[in-house]
Amino acid sequence: MSDVTELEAPGGSIGVYTRPKANTGWRDWITTVDHKKIGILYGATAMFFFVIGGIEALLIRLQLATPDGTVLGAETYNRVFTMHGVTMVFLVIMPLAAAFANYLLPLQIGARDVAFPRMNALSFWVFLAGGLFLNMSWIVGDAPDGGWFAYAPNTGMIFSPGKGMDYYAIGLQITGIASLVSAMNLIVTVLNMRAPGMTLFKMPVFTWMILVVQFLLLFAVPVITVALFLLLFDRNFGANFFNPEMGADPLLWQHLFWIFGHPEVYILILPSFGIISEVIPTFSRKPLFGYPFMVFSGIAIGFMGWGVWAHHMFVSGIGPISVAAFSVSTMFIAVPTGVKILNWLATMWGGRIRFNTPMLFASGVVSMFTIGGLSGVTHSVAPADTQQTDTYYIVAHFHYVIFGGALLGIFAGFYFWWPKVFGHLLDEKWGKWNFWLMIVGFNMTFGPMHILGLQGMSRRIASYSPGFGFEFWNMFASIGAFIIALGVAVFLINVIISARRARTAPPVGLDPWDARGPEWFTPNPTPVHNFDSEIQIDSLDEFWHRKYGEDEDGRVVRVATAEEVCQDGSATDIHLPSPSYWPVVLAAGLPFIGFGLMYTLWFCVLGGALVLMGIYGWIFEPVDDPDGPHGHGHHADEPTEDVPPEDSVDDEPLETAEEAPVG
Amino acid sequence: MADTAAVSHGHGTGTGLSDNKLLMWVFLGSECLLFGGLISTYLIYRSRFADGPAPGDIFDIPFTSVSSFVLLMSSLTMVLALSALQRGDIRNNRIWLLTTALLGSLFIGGQVYEFTTFVREGLGYTTSPFSSAFFTLTGFHGVHVSLGILMLMSLLISSLRGTLTKERSETVEIVGLYWHFVDVVWIFIFTVIYLVPSPTS
Amino acid sequence: MSLRRSLSPGRLVALTAGGLLALTGCAADAPLDTLEPQGPISRSIDSLSDPIFLIAGIVFVIIFGATAIIWWKFRDDHSTDEFPHQLHGHFRAEIGWTIGPAVLMAVIAVFTLLSHFELNSEDRTDIVVAVDGERTPWDPEILVVGQQWWWEFRYYFDGLDGLDLSDARHLPPADIVAANQLVIPTGSEIGLKITSRDVIHSYWIPALNGKRDAVPGRVAPWKIEAEKPGVYFGQCTEFCGLSHSRMRMQTVAMDPADFQLWVDQQMQPAVEPIGAAALRGREIFEGQCARCHVVNGINDGGGADLVSNAAPNLTHIMSRTTFAGGIFDLYEADGSLNRTQLEAWLRNAPAEKPAYAEGRRGMPAMGLSEGQIDDVVAYLQTLGTAPAMDVIAATEVD
Repeated sequence: MSDVTELEAPGGSIGVYTRPKANTGWRDWITTVDHKKIGILYGATAMFFFVIGGIEALLIRLQLATPDGTVLGAETYNRVFTMHGVTMVFLVIMPLAAAFANYLLPLQIGARDVAFPRMNALSFWVFLAGGLFLNMSWIVGDAPDGGWFAYAPNTGMIFSPGKGMDYYAIGLQITGIASLVSAMNLIVTVLNMRAPGMTLFKMPVFTWMILVVQFLLLFAVPVITVALFLLLFDRNFGANFFNPEMGADPLLWQHLFWIFGHPEVYILILPSFGIISEVIPTFSRKPLFGYPFMVFSGIAIGFMGWGVWAHHMFVSGIGPISVAAFSVSTMFIAVPTGVKILNWLATMWGGRIRFNTPMLFASGVVSMFTIGGLSGVTHSVAPADTQQTDTYYIVAHFHYVIFGGALLGIFAGFYFWWPKVFGHLLDEKWGKWNFWLMIVGFNMTFGPMHILGLQGMSRRIASYSPGFGFEFWNMFASIGAFIIALGVAVFLINVIISARRARTAPPVGLDPWDARGPEWFTPNPTPVHNFDSEIQIDSLDEFWHRKYGEDEDGRVVRVATAEEVCQDGSATDIHLPSPSYWPVVLAAGLPFIGFGLMYTLWFCVLGGALVLMGIYGWIFEPVDDPDGPHGHGHHADEPTEDVPPEDSVDDEPLETAEEAPVG
Repeated sequence: MADTAAVSHGHGTGTGLSDNKLLMWVFLGSECLLFGGLISTYLIYRSRFADGPAPGDIFDIPFTSVSSFVLLMSSLTMVLALSALQRGDIRNNRIWLLTTALLGSLFIGGQVYEFTTFVREGLGYTTSPFSSAFFTLTGFHGVHVSLGILMLMSLLISSLRGTLTKERSETVEIVGLYWHFVDVVWIFIFTVIYLVPSPTS
Repeated sequence: MSLRRSLSPGRLVALTAGGLLALTGCAADAPLDTLEPQGPISRSIDSLSDPIFLIAGIVFVIIFGATAIIWWKFRDDHSTDEFPHQLHGHFRAEIGWTIGPAVLMAVIAVFTLLSHFELNSEDRTDIVVAVDGERTPWDPEILVVGQQWWWEFRYYFDGLDGLDLSDARHLPPADIVAANQLVIPTGSEIGLKITSRDVIHSYWIPALNGKRDAVPGRVAPWKIEAEKPGVYFGQCTEFCGLSHSRMRMQTVAMDPADFQLWVDQQMQPAVEPIGAAALRGREIFEGQCARCHVVNGINDGGGADLVSNAAPNLTHIMSRTTFAGGIFDLYEADGSLNRTQLEAWLRNAPAEKPAYAEGRRGMPAMGLSEGQIDDVVAYLQTLGTAPAMDVIAATEVD
């Protein structure tokens, strides 16, 4: 059904700002404010950057496969590893989590969209702008080379002349805006827009983890914003924030960066924890073991994550008392994380486990993250860390938690929710090849790095010399990296093959996995309006409890078919937020402002004009369909010129007066 | 069969706050960390004044106190603007909005005067870590105040066009939240920078 | 069928992990190995980390074992359609596995703190050193200064207390200024004060101790101690830019008697060169190299035409076994000069080790002719006495 897009704004509107009408084609995608499409945009864009970051990884591994490698010169190597880190953290894992959060959050809380749909679109376009801006640095031949952590004073003007670190700082400021805006949007959405009956403790675990992540983003992004501003001011205006010659302390950068950076790693992992908390119960055919503990441990990790940042600085000279404090706090953050691992195992225990591809990936997370978590505990021991830090042992640790933990969880999510998003399953056989290639390649690449690190191989070295014992495992790791690449290629092939086959195959139908969460109430793929009518939530796993009850002996019995429980998506006349041009316009202005700061102020003028146009267009564009049902979150993002007519239904947008089922 | 949830008209929000108001509160939460980072930086660098003026040498506490009082009063007028609109008193709403904007501008004027004086007295942006931290912190605050003034002027224009009605008083309330926040941050800054005894050279 | 395959991740990883752990032990020819401590300090770290690795390994085996069992035992073998018992949780178990790990962490924390405060304590005793013939008690603390992309070591036999070390680019004149190799006597705790002249570096000799960052504007206390004479290898371990991978150092530990001999040698001024080539070489040095490098008696402490304001002091370069930031052997295995590499370095240093010549960081290409290079080598050969053969041999890594 096409959106209703009549655009006669009462009270008069400025004619040029009529809302766009397209609902197919590229114009649809550019102006969409539909959280589902935005989720898909995030996912596709992030996978594009994943390929770029993966190529950067392969270049690193080619260079390090042999001693005194000559594939990349030292300068280029420093750029490649910097961009690999920046890309994977900011342009891949974070937006992949955003993809799932955007698509699923409204569905999991029974809402029609997020609180501020245009802001949602803005977040995506700003993220894209930031990602393109960062990678422009390659095109102009001056990619940043200071590491993703960009320690001062190496990143100041004296030691990093040229524009690379400006691309870094400005690019991350832009992506930071995207994250911050999205965090505010999703927090309001979850706190305000849950379906009737859905108290916080009936929310799915994925939603909970995303909520915690948004609070982490809300408070962590401003801190790196400050750090990046200080760096930019040092580099471009002669400020003295990191200039030791004038009495500044280079450690200020580290503190600011890691106060952001440590919560950031929980931002990276918690979404994946949320995903597998949905997948494992489904495929074990049991509820998640210990829901309250899972929620509270996620919250605990969110809180405790603020108190451990200086474990990244154990050898920086902060003094033994500080080191002692952070060593102890870091040890204790292992506790809530361990609880989660054990709860996932306890979920599987006593279950009837189907090892479909989503479950393979989810199980992979549990195992691989355990390894990463255990090596993390060894780092927390400060004296031991004086040997481990800045070596490949650390590289092993964080790849186990980020790749083995976050990325594998995201792949679990791909396979699990693909039918919900696209209406067909990803092929199981290709899926299994995808999984095995990735997990074998991954362990081949990063397992040996534990050894390399303990044998003294430093991080961030463009090459190593023969005679230090590093040759064998580096070659082994490099081979593993190409196996990972093969696994990723298999995934992309799977996507294409499954889409092709779906054209002629029967539709996937309702509830293909016999799942538990509220998002499965809707047919597959999700209709554009999400729910035909509002869901009343009486319990956690409401969807499951409508399908299954218990007999006298306490055994689980099916009480309703999927057709009976699910909606059929046939509702018409449900009003949706209208599309808008202005998020794209606003987002487009930001990189121009960035270029202006680096090259010529005329770009700033252009960028500023686009931003202002975007803001004013946004504020003054006509209300979407004033005759449609107004309701919750509807007028949230523009001041209306009019008061809603008395006869409009002022409630949740999922029903019109005519449609409300009675009784 | 479709879900048989009861229709609930006037379904409120989960928190009881409107989306817009909750959004502003959430945004202000993030702003706390922004200013927290800048204030922490200042605290670390207040005694690192290289060869330039030290904070104790250069601050003019009486002047800045007056300026702070002006900003504080603007919060009062903001409250008056809101309550006027909530009563339906459009005229006084406009007066108090304008007054708030003027007081805010007076504060900014005071900042500009103070900064130019400092520069003349040898405290430039690049003089020392202290100077960079000072100007950055107060500069960010000043930008926030200025954006607030722009918002107030937008409200005023909206009022003059007749579209800022009593039913839309929440918009004024939300701008008021922002304005009060900016004022509270200034209380912190004023205390931390000016009132706490500063190093002298 | 798929069941067996689904088991193999657990097995595969367990095997791999076990294999990795085993292979870790048999690391031959690993001069930077952290698991083979060669001094009391690194040994105390190792005695803490070994049991913790073991605990981690045990937890790993338990978790993976449990995982493998669960995957096998509770796989869906399609023998039934019944749903398993829908257990929602078990409060006691969860409290148990919250408190249990917390207690374990607390125990680890106690041992960690004990080891940590000891690691950060100082327990030096004075060493008697003969300086200019006079025996002086020396509180053995050496100033370690990092810069792009080499290490300097400054010895002050009157001790570091009371010296103004706040500006690393203008340090007080030292009794001995060495580069690339920190020479220490065995059997004594040697204090280190670590700083930097430009960006952050990190000083690390894994066999003897953990690492400590060299931060410009700060002086960080650390320590080092060797039990046996030998050459202990190091690598800069904080990313410091272009040639971070080529910034290395060694600690050379000597018997106290040999250390005294070394001190005597280092305190000598440069020998007057004999031979036309060496004299020409000195002229070239004074005209070009002396812009940065120091030879005592020629251009002491005038600073260098570099951002860091320092280049290695070459007065006794021949007494070292590495050069160019500790990355090239100065001597062949038979004790002869590594002439090829030294000439290559003089011919075009950036080709051997990347540098930013225009940015005044690192050694630039000097544009010397072949004849000039020969002369400079001849001159350099007069600067210092060759070290003992066992030190030369111990420096060879491959």
